[in-house]
Amino acid sequence: MSERAFSVTHGDRTYRAAVADDGAVSVDGVRVHVARAPLEGELVVAREEMIDRVFVAVAGGSTWAFHDGRVYELAVDSEENGRRRTTHHQGSLLAPMPAAVVAVQVSAGASVKRGDVLMILEAMKMELPVRAPGDGIVKAVNCRPGDLVQAGASLLEME
Amino acid sequence: MIRRLLIANRGEIALRVIRACREMGIEAIAVYSDADAQARHVRAADRAIRIGPPPARESYLDIEAVIAAARRSGADAVHPGYGFLSENAAFASACADAGIVFVGPPAQAIARMGSKIAARELMQRAGVPVVPGRTPDDQSDGGLEAAAADVGFPVLVKASAGGGGKGMRAAANPHELRDVVPAARREALAAFGDGTLYVERLIQRPRHVEIQVLADSHGNAVHLFERECSIQRRHQKIVEESPSPALTPPLRERMGTAAIAAARGAGYQNAGTIEFLLDGAGDEARFYFLEMNTRLQVEHPVTEAVTGVDLVRAQIVVAAGEPLPWCQEALSLRGHAIECRVYAEDPGNGFLPQAGRLHLYREPVGPGIRIDSGVEEGVDVPVQYDPLLAKLIASGETRTAAVARASAALRAFPVLGVRTNIPFLVNLLGQLRFREGAIDTGFVDEHLEDLLRADEIPASVIAAAAVVRAAASHARPAAAPLSAAADPWTTVARWGRQ
Repeated sequence: MSERAFSVTHGDRTYRAAVADDGAVSVDGVRVHVARAPLEGELVVAREEMIDRVFVAVAGGSTWAFHDGRVYELAVDSEENGRRRTTHHQGSLLAPMPAAVVAVQVSAGASVKRGDVLMILEAMKMELPVRAPGDGIVKAVNCRPGDLVQAGASLLEME
Repeated sequence: MIRRLLIANRGEIALRVIRACREMGIEAIAVYSDADAQARHVRAADRAIRIGPPPARESYLDIEAVIAAARRSGADAVHPGYGFLSENAAFASACADAGIVFVGPPAQAIARMGSKIAARELMQRAGVPVVPGRTPDDQSDGGLEAAAADVGFPVLVKASAGGGGKGMRAAANPHELRDVVPAARREALAAFGDGTLYVERLIQRPRHVEIQVLADSHGNAVHLFERECSIQRRHQKIVEESPSPALTPPLRERMGTAAIAAARGAGYQNAGTIEFLLDGAGDEARFYFLEMNTRLQVEHPVTEAVTGVDLVRAQIVVAAGEPLPWCQEALSLRGHAIECRVYAEDPGNGFLPQAGRLHLYREPVGPGIRIDSGVEEGVDVPVQYDPLLAKLIASGETRTAAVARASAALRAFPVLGVRTNIPFLVNLLGQLRFREGAIDTGFVDEHLEDLLRADEIPASVIAAAAVVRAAASHARPAAAPLSAAADPWTTVARWGRQ
């Protein structure tokens, strides 16, 4: 039975989970069993006879979980040989809709981590923080505070 | 009777009205902006007409576009929902001019109650208590002090020319009044070009209690008891319930009578709500008119739950010219209902409205649970409209039972893809003071730290997240760079190659 190791970060704490093919998972020594419910996104986690329903969705580079009225934003990375391998991101960040650039927090050469706020856009009277989807280095910033960007415009490039 | 009804709204309230139409055999016409082309309310209707691009100003608020859609569809009536054009006297008039029945009050009643000053004067003439207040002719320090003594301390000094808290200061006694008046005057002058001050009694720890009324075109008017809406933030309601823990039968009777007097004084017809500030609780409490909402309210399901009536059906029946379906004696309260508004906002980040896709959205079901919502799993939360995702209404035999039911339902209401106030609501319903019914309009601000408290992450959540990640990475090699197709980022910016 092969086991794969993952690191799961919530806030400033990181936990280690070892996942076996049959759904057995060990979390920092605690043994549970995870099965999928019929509907996509719902999992049933059993610890001895105690059952927990956990809902999981992946969006924007984060793994989101709902359990008993609580929501958790997690960074999940696979570990190989005991070392964490974070996915590095390359390419451009594109504006999803016409927006105004309110603030730019980084410049070319900056090293960023997943979740870091890179810039703040404003659209429809709402402020939208744009976060790094993964670790990387900013190659180029293509906008300035005060700019109005169109949908699809390249805001920033990473390498 | 009305044959064809156009719903001049969107989201959950449009769906609510469409449901009533279906039950009554009325053809339902939906209107939609480009942002709502695939929305639930559009699919639920018999016919759907596009009225413009996403911005509300160019679609749902465009009177000409809505009237044109009504004409085109041959609608004989329009239901305005809440918000948008529902309290727009010009829209009500435009409907009348086009020979279309407006499901709501006469345009003059909307106009009358739309002006706070005019509404207040009308209420005083109708014998409805209003918050004691005066704009003294003598605006000197002495004149304002005399006005404050007359009104009764503690007082709130406000700018007469405008609102929004500008020029507003509290004073508990004449000494404090003398200190705050110069600043209030300066602020009022700066904000509105007019330093005239209004002095009002400050109600401390007020409760917001509103009375539902319904009047027909035959001179009949009833009240359908109260809803307590004290759980709010920046005047946005979050939780509403009926009955109010603060009301006793004699107080309820007095407030109901006052509400009907208010509705009659305004020449009102159809459904409306009188909002009161309640000072104290029980038989001896004092209530004061705050404002009248000349439309159906968001929280109407709470009243439907405890009285067993269908308010939207009643609205349509009354608009068609028929008398009220019930007399006052036939109406009564049974059990308890509580509504929690689920918003796409992040309470931990200043309640900032959230944009994004509802990757996962599963409504809880069960006895005594009603969910009114215009969204569903897979849709993008539109950014152009208000962030209300759903209303969860829980009914129970007692307040304790209803609160427990609402809490259990929220804990089984997974929403992922945008942050919501569900964890905040769970904390709120668990607060001891809330469970005791010891609430007032300052509750949220006062308990904010507790309401924002987050829990330790359970091992089961960590395990589940790891399993999902393990399954995803079986599909591709571990070190592959992320491409837009493999993991679409829908939250804010799209990750792509350019």
